[in-house]
Amino acid sequence: MLKIKPATGQFKTELSDTKAALHVVNLRKRFGQLEVIKGLSLTANQGDVISILGSSGSGKSTLLRCLNFLEPPNEGEIWIGGRQIQARAGATGQREINALRINLGMVFQTFNLWLHKTVLENIVEAPIHVLGLSKAEAHLRAEELLLKVGLADKRHAYPSQLSGGQQQRIAIARALAMEPEILLFDEPTSALDPELVGDVLKVIRALADEGRTMLIVTHELNFARQVSNRIVFLHEGQIEEEGPPDAFFNHPSSPRVRQFLSSQRDGYHR
Amino acid sequence: MTLLQGFGDQIIAGAITTLQVALTSLVLGIAVGLCGAMAKVNGIGALRWLADGYTTIVRGIPELLIILILYFGGTVALTALLGRYVEVDAFAAGVFALTIVFGAYATEVFRAALLAVPRSQIEAAHALALSRALTFRLVILPQMWRYALPGLGNLWLTLLKDTALISVVGLEDLMRKASVAAGATHDPLTFYLIAAALYLTFTSVSLVGLALLEQRAGRGVRISE
Amino acid sequence: MNWYLVIDAMPRLLSGALLTLQLAALSVLAGLVIALPLSLLRSSSSGVLSRPVLAYTFVFRGTPLLVQLFVIYYGAGQIEWIRTTSAWIILREPYWCALIAFSLNNAAYTTEILRGGIRAVPAGEVEAAKALGMSYALRTRRIVLPIAFRLALPAYANEVVLMLKASSLASTITIMELTGTSRKIVAQTFSPYEVFISAALIYLAITFVVVKAFARLERHLAHHLERVEKNNGGTDPVHKGPVQELDRDPVLQREAR
Repeated sequence: MLKIKPATGQFKTELSDTKAALHVVNLRKRFGQLEVIKGLSLTANQGDVISILGSSGSGKSTLLRCLNFLEPPNEGEIWIGGRQIQARAGATGQREINALRINLGMVFQTFNLWLHKTVLENIVEAPIHVLGLSKAEAHLRAEELLLKVGLADKRHAYPSQLSGGQQQRIAIARALAMEPEILLFDEPTSALDPELVGDVLKVIRALADEGRTMLIVTHELNFARQVSNRIVFLHEGQIEEEGPPDAFFNHPSSPRVRQFLSSQRDGYHR
Repeated sequence: MTLLQGFGDQIIAGAITTLQVALTSLVLGIAVGLCGAMAKVNGIGALRWLADGYTTIVRGIPELLIILILYFGGTVALTALLGRYVEVDAFAAGVFALTIVFGAYATEVFRAALLAVPRSQIEAAHALALSRALTFRLVILPQMWRYALPGLGNLWLTLLKDTALISVVGLEDLMRKASVAAGATHDPLTFYLIAAALYLTFTSVSLVGLALLEQRAGRGVRISE
Repeated sequence: MNWYLVIDAMPRLLSGALLTLQLAALSVLAGLVIALPLSLLRSSSSGVLSRPVLAYTFVFRGTPLLVQLFVIYYGAGQIEWIRTTSAWIILREPYWCALIAFSLNNAAYTTEILRGGIRAVPAGEVEAAKALGMSYALRTRRIVLPIAFRLALPAYANEVVLMLKASSLASTITIMELTGTSRKIVAQTFSPYEVFISAALIYLAITFVVVKAFARLERHLAHHLERVEKNNGGTDPVHKGPVQELDRDPVLQREAR
């Protein structure tokens, strides 16, 4: 198990007996005085597709970003699939974080493709320079992924020549090229024009059908309902309610969730 | 004041001359820049062509060379004109040269600033039946300053430092006084470092002043770092 | 206008121009080499790394190049340990003093220009590199610096031109580059117009070539931003519109020397 204990300086090798792909215990994250994540615990098993819902400011994105240390957590434990990381400052800590990030693929709301590289170059960059793949291997992998996301003919295009939906699918391919254990999606369709959303969701659903472990922060409630096997609802940095989609959408127990769902139904925008 | 070895007064006098040159050139240069910008933006073809030529040429020649041209060229011209040997005053030549240089760059700053005033402001003025001239004077010009400030600030700092070049033709500015003192005392390090410190002071004070000005002008629109 | 004089002076002027080019090119090269690591330090979030570099750039950008030149040329000989070591062999030569002064000065401006470029790299693209497990060294080398260079190019081109013009200051410490040579000829012939204007024209020609070269480089590096104007051409989700170039009027960025 990757056990991450920030700032304690302890080096503990612990083998956990849970088979969980992801295990978060009592995570806390502060920005200055503002505590955004207040003691959150979460477990994801192999093959789980968890949709994370909640209103703005509930800490959804921050949670994801804490997992791959784009925002270093202040407290808590993060276990990932059986190996251990001590999140210490300095070179060793950084190496471990980089190793962790190889296993956690992330897809951003704003795609974040490298504009000065072609589609193909975007996808093979990390496999070649981080994983050490040969150019041939990396290109092979990239071609498969481009087929998978339906954009094989765009391999030599530059991101600025593509639509938002196409860019996001390339971003997904780029993340997949590292063959991560877990995929993190941070509002993957929020920056897209409505007519482009469907294509991206199709790709994400295909990945879920493959049995990948995925955490998806999203506002697409219908999609969340169809694709996930668990919904997690965040409110002010804590889990307000979680459960299987049917239970969550049809019989929510928390009043806040009910309010959230009704506001979405009435068409209030987030 | 053994550090200054008696040259303290001289240094101060030189510093004052430096500021005089800089400020004079600033005022004149802004005037030239405004004219140039208006020629580029509003002017008829020939005027615009002239302004383009002016900025292109001046920005492609070293300031030192311009100073030398005006000083030595001016001397030759005046001598020929008046029939006897007349030397151009270093102060005048310096200010003239720096004004020309500042004006060329300022033309570009003002031109960009004029174009940066939002179209909507101009349209509103027209809708209120303001003539083109009035619109320019009452609406565009005042707003333009806000956009011009960062660029002008940079140009001022450059101007301050370029004044040192006039010492080459003998102007008794800070740089020249430092050179004289350095030569007399065989202590160049001290005096040039003092000169550097003084220039740094002028620069720093200017930076603070500019920051305050930009604050006052609303948010000075930063075009770029 | 004495054309014969111009023709007669031209070989010497051109040879001076060669020295000008040499000085400028070497200073720009050295400045870039120095500025690269310094700009990374300067972009660091750690004050301990960034502030000393800031002190350096502040001093060298806040004082006239002429003063810096004189401090090095006239002042070096005053320092005991310089005079007695092998450093003196270098520092008593005007050519090397000029090179050192120009390089340090150019490096200071280039450091700040590169830093500006680094800061302008879209944060999302850097985060993507992080999220893919790229180390600081890897992502700086492969992602941040290439983007930063392109963004900094207009300001940098400007700086190169300024350096070219600043090389004329070498004439104040006896170096016979273009300005120095023309001054000497003027002193001999008492014809400031013909000689100085010829020198000015040569400078203009050089700067013209440099500016054009950089413009071509900018165009070449930006071709990946060309938009395909079909349905839903590329959109920039961060700025909610077509992919933008940073506004980049070089004059507005003209840094004080």
